[in-house]
Amino acid sequence: MTSTDAADPIPGPRPPDEGPPSAGEAATAPVVRSKRTWSQSLRRDWRLYTLAVAPLVFFAIFKYEPMIGNVIAFRQYEPGGSIFGDQWVGLMYVKMMFQDPSFWTVFTNTAIIGALTLVVCFPLPIVLALLLNELRGRFVKRFVQSVSYLPHFLSMVIVAGIVMEFLSAGGPVNSALKAVGHSPILFMQQPGWFRQIYVSSEVWQTVGWGTIIYLAALTSIDQDLYEAARIDGAGRWRQTWHVTLPGLRPTMMTLLVLNIGTFMSVGFEKILLLYNPLTYPTADVISTYLYRMGVNSGNFSYSAAIGLFESIIGLVLVVTANRISRRLVGTSLW
Amino acid sequence: MVTADLDPQAPQAPEPPEASPRTPGRARGFFSGRRPEYSPAEMPTTGYQVFRVVNGVILTLVVLAVLYPIVNIVARSFSDAAYIDAGKVDLWPRGFNVATYKAVLSNGLFWTDYRNTVVYTVVSTVISLALTTTYAYVLSKKDLRGRTFLVGVAVFTMFFSGGLIPNYVLVNNLGMRDSIWAMVLPNAISVFNLLVMKAFFESMPSELEEAAAIDGLSSYGILLRIVLPLSKAVLATMTLFYAVASWNSWFSAFLYLDKPNLYPVSLYLRNMIAGATNQSSLGMGQDDTQAAANIQAVTIVLTTLPILFVYPFVQRYFVKGVMIGAVKG
Amino acid sequence: MSSPQISRRSMLLGAGAVALGLVGCGSGGGSSKGSSGLNGKDADSMSDFAVGTAFRASKPLTITTLYDDNPNYELNKNWLFFQELTKRTNVTLNPTAVPLSDYENKRSVIIGAGDAPTLIPKTYPGEEVPFAASGAVLPVSDYTRYMPNYTATVKKWNLQADIDTLIQDDGHYYLLPGLHQDVWVDYSLAIRTDILKKLNLQVPQTWDDLYNVLKAMKEAYPDQYPMTDRWGIPTPGGNLFNLLAQAYGTQAGWGYQNATWDADQKHFVFTGAMDQYRDMLTYVNKLVKEKLLDPESFTQQDTDAEAKFTSGKSFVISTNAQELVNTYRTPLSKAVPGATITKIPVPMGPLGAVKKGSRLENGLMISKSAANNPDFLAILQFIDWLFYSDEGKLFAKWGVKGVTYTAYGDGKVTLAKDVDWSGLNPGAPKSLQKDYGFFNGNFVYGGSTELLDSQFTAEELEFQKVMAARKTLPVDPPHPMTQAEQQQTNIWDTPLKDYVTQQTLKFALGTRPLSEWDQFVSECKSKNSDQYIKVVNQAYQRWASKQK
Repeated sequence: MTSTDAADPIPGPRPPDEGPPSAGEAATAPVVRSKRTWSQSLRRDWRLYTLAVAPLVFFAIFKYEPMIGNVIAFRQYEPGGSIFGDQWVGLMYVKMMFQDPSFWTVFTNTAIIGALTLVVCFPLPIVLALLLNELRGRFVKRFVQSVSYLPHFLSMVIVAGIVMEFLSAGGPVNSALKAVGHSPILFMQQPGWFRQIYVSSEVWQTVGWGTIIYLAALTSIDQDLYEAARIDGAGRWRQTWHVTLPGLRPTMMTLLVLNIGTFMSVGFEKILLLYNPLTYPTADVISTYLYRMGVNSGNFSYSAAIGLFESIIGLVLVVTANRISRRLVGTSLW
Repeated sequence: MVTADLDPQAPQAPEPPEASPRTPGRARGFFSGRRPEYSPAEMPTTGYQVFRVVNGVILTLVVLAVLYPIVNIVARSFSDAAYIDAGKVDLWPRGFNVATYKAVLSNGLFWTDYRNTVVYTVVSTVISLALTTTYAYVLSKKDLRGRTFLVGVAVFTMFFSGGLIPNYVLVNNLGMRDSIWAMVLPNAISVFNLLVMKAFFESMPSELEEAAAIDGLSSYGILLRIVLPLSKAVLATMTLFYAVASWNSWFSAFLYLDKPNLYPVSLYLRNMIAGATNQSSLGMGQDDTQAAANIQAVTIVLTTLPILFVYPFVQRYFVKGVMIGAVKG
Repeated sequence: MSSPQISRRSMLLGAGAVALGLVGCGSGGGSSKGSSGLNGKDADSMSDFAVGTAFRASKPLTITTLYDDNPNYELNKNWLFFQELTKRTNVTLNPTAVPLSDYENKRSVIIGAGDAPTLIPKTYPGEEVPFAASGAVLPVSDYTRYMPNYTATVKKWNLQADIDTLIQDDGHYYLLPGLHQDVWVDYSLAIRTDILKKLNLQVPQTWDDLYNVLKAMKEAYPDQYPMTDRWGIPTPGGNLFNLLAQAYGTQAGWGYQNATWDADQKHFVFTGAMDQYRDMLTYVNKLVKEKLLDPESFTQQDTDAEAKFTSGKSFVISTNAQELVNTYRTPLSKAVPGATITKIPVPMGPLGAVKKGSRLENGLMISKSAANNPDFLAILQFIDWLFYSDEGKLFAKWGVKGVTYTAYGDGKVTLAKDVDWSGLNPGAPKSLQKDYGFFNGNFVYGGSTELLDSQFTAEELEFQKVMAARKTLPVDPPHPMTQAEQQQTNIWDTPLKDYVTQQTLKFALGTRPLSEWDQFVSECKSKNSDQYIKVVNQAYQRWASKQK
């Protein structure tokens, strides 16, 4: 099914009148990258490069230009001095961070809550999307879809309020407990319950919205494959396993890698709203700890340094996850 | 010969007779509707029937779990403050009144800001879509030289950012304070959306583009005439994502806008809630009690309602069979 | 999971970088911090400006100011306040509005970006510290000699000790605070007086009285918690612990700081380990143990607490003057007919009839650029008149005689018939704030007790009378730290505070027995409480020796 037209020896869908053939390139070769020189690439792909100009300008102006100011985190700012500071104290802050015993507690909490969220909240939208896909009836399907993503629109404050009311001593959960003779549990005050509470509220808020991408992805699966599977006698379940899931795989892996990369930035706002000193042992994460530090003691240099540390970890995670994804599945972010 | 059927609404394979809705014994109505084909092997499986029932139960529970708090919120928005404070409002409004709605909707500034939100959302979505789509398309070309660098440029910004003050200074220096550009440009490309779109483009069979290239289309042409029409689902999704993000955003507004009549309605309402619940010991009049109790509920209803109407329109584009008949070997 | 458009990490990083851009390094190194004569910067000022003189600039002058826009009275540049101000002083205020919901954030950003207007109001003591360190605002202590009303007020009401708490390590202070003649006590407890009457109980005067009252209530209503509490987020027991701590002679709740001044021993001690702190916790634990105080009080949302009180489930709750009227009374009247409530004078404890607090409230900072303005002296005099002179304060608060009020004197004001503020003239069509722009949170700070009393209802005045009769305890002396000391203590400060707060709750709720108190004290030591106090005392000694 590949083009075998001799007029276009360079593989890939490019206008046939562009550029001389490169020596040693077969017409049906797969991705051939570094065998082309820059001038050849430019000549062949200049249109693509022009398409990339506007976005690049965007990144340069709005993302990279302000980053120059970020360098300040690793220095101390002298009023009147140049913006690049006069002393490198970044290492001092990093050392302070590693020696701070509280830091390791919050680091662990961040890792645990992040991992839990990932493990629980990642598969559920896929499951829900598949369940929705099995619904017959356009109206029902649309209704359930629309309802399921409503929580996405509620602000964190509202969601936290709903959660706290739900779990209060007079709320539905404790009323149910009372009905079976159990004494009320003050869930919000128990460190042992915090993770479950947090993850559940994340599920409630994000699952519906998360199905949207998968539902869109489902439409791009070749229907012929289903046809073929049917002809082979596969029931609905086997169709799902052998056609749907593999079809969703690229989307799933992309989202997985992206979510791994951001898993350290565990929900700052929601935790801030749901935690209290009694649940600090399990609830306090890096971002909330830094926030309190900033509010209490005005020590923002430390906060910024740790913020950078978090970012670096995130980047490392993404790169690693991507590498694994590429090796295992063939999907890669780049 | 490659025949590219470019019509995204290409007909599906003909239905086997058993699946016709006129099969006797099948209930009609919106629980059946247009049913796709079942092979003889799968139709009467008891296992599948059971699964369908279980599925129905699960989804019903999901709907209930979501709707209960939301109905409560809507009920509160119509309830009297006294009942809300006493915790007596459940699924139905108590002391039904529209006083807070009236208070909010009668303020001219509210409507001005609402209009602002609509304008910002439309402009922002268009710009974001244009930038993201073109860049995603470029990035999806695996054999493009320098591709890794281009991807890296985007991914790096996911983790590192300049910070509030440098961004503020930048916008200031560009003269974009108090203008629509401050609302739509600084966050025009979401790298998350970018990468998802790129994944979609990569999963499109390359035969289509090759065929079009042979037919003489340039890269621009291929993008516009072939790729985009076949990507309706992902374009619709990204439209939804960007539109919703822009609709709900208040942060850029608070940072870069100084004039209240330029605010989006989200900031206006956020400020109103803060004012209603503010513990300031100076000057909160007694008539503000009503607003405080259910202002949050009213806010939610007013800002969420329009978005809910958008999704059904967008859903139309999530059609199956986008690729049917497009490539026949 | 979709990714939010602005990742939270980048926001936090941004917030960090914001204030990071504000954290300075050296102490006292800047050249602009020396004292300066104002030659060349006294255009348009008055040469004879003194206490009792009305300020008037000799030429029209525009002063830019940041403005915290309260949505309850949205900014309107045509307010009588602005117009009359220009008429009297020849100064036009040019406000830059910032929504109330995000005032602090935007203030930080604007100042950090170097874009700040001349005046920055609505700044609470303590908030000026990061800006001071970065040199973005003026050391106002250098210029107070040009402000006769301010200096006279400080002297008249003996506020120097309070002002001293604002001093930074370089010996200057950077905030012009609102000044109160006396500590303004607003927070206390609200009690259902009809229940008291029904059970033949007196209004409790002390905390022990309260205990007895609660016990009696529990006997009559065994299935309910007689007391619940609010304001537990983000500081658990914020109000309750604060009131109790003052009664016992320590600091807790909203007032908690790791270091408390011990007046007998004349040095600072670690608050969490004080015996008085333990005594206070013993009391609270007693209430919780006997099911008199709702254990959810410390973590529940305000709305839930209010619901319990206004639906009649509980009879005692924390309050201030406004909440009493707005949040409790109206719903209560609908939900429980016949219910009456009152704000009781703060219950007393072992220290007796005392009150403690700062007499400083939020004030304003002056941005650095003002010092280069040729009208600088005029600006200072303007500020002095509007914020610190009797005439200016009366104007900002109550407006124009004959238009917004008809009479003022002896701590009472009579508003014009068609003007209302906070229920003083119920049913009047116009609002003092919304329609005229007076009593605006940006421009009305502090004041004499007489001026303050004029805004209270009769009910509140009674409360104020009782509180005014109590002895005001002196504030803790300052301990301004050097950069190095601050970096040291910053690392210990938050973990210590966190730990104490956490264990406070555990002791109060009974999840940890009070018999483990000594163990708790040594746990604090292992978290560097001793080192922390040592540094604090060191800083105090250095400051104290400078005073001699």
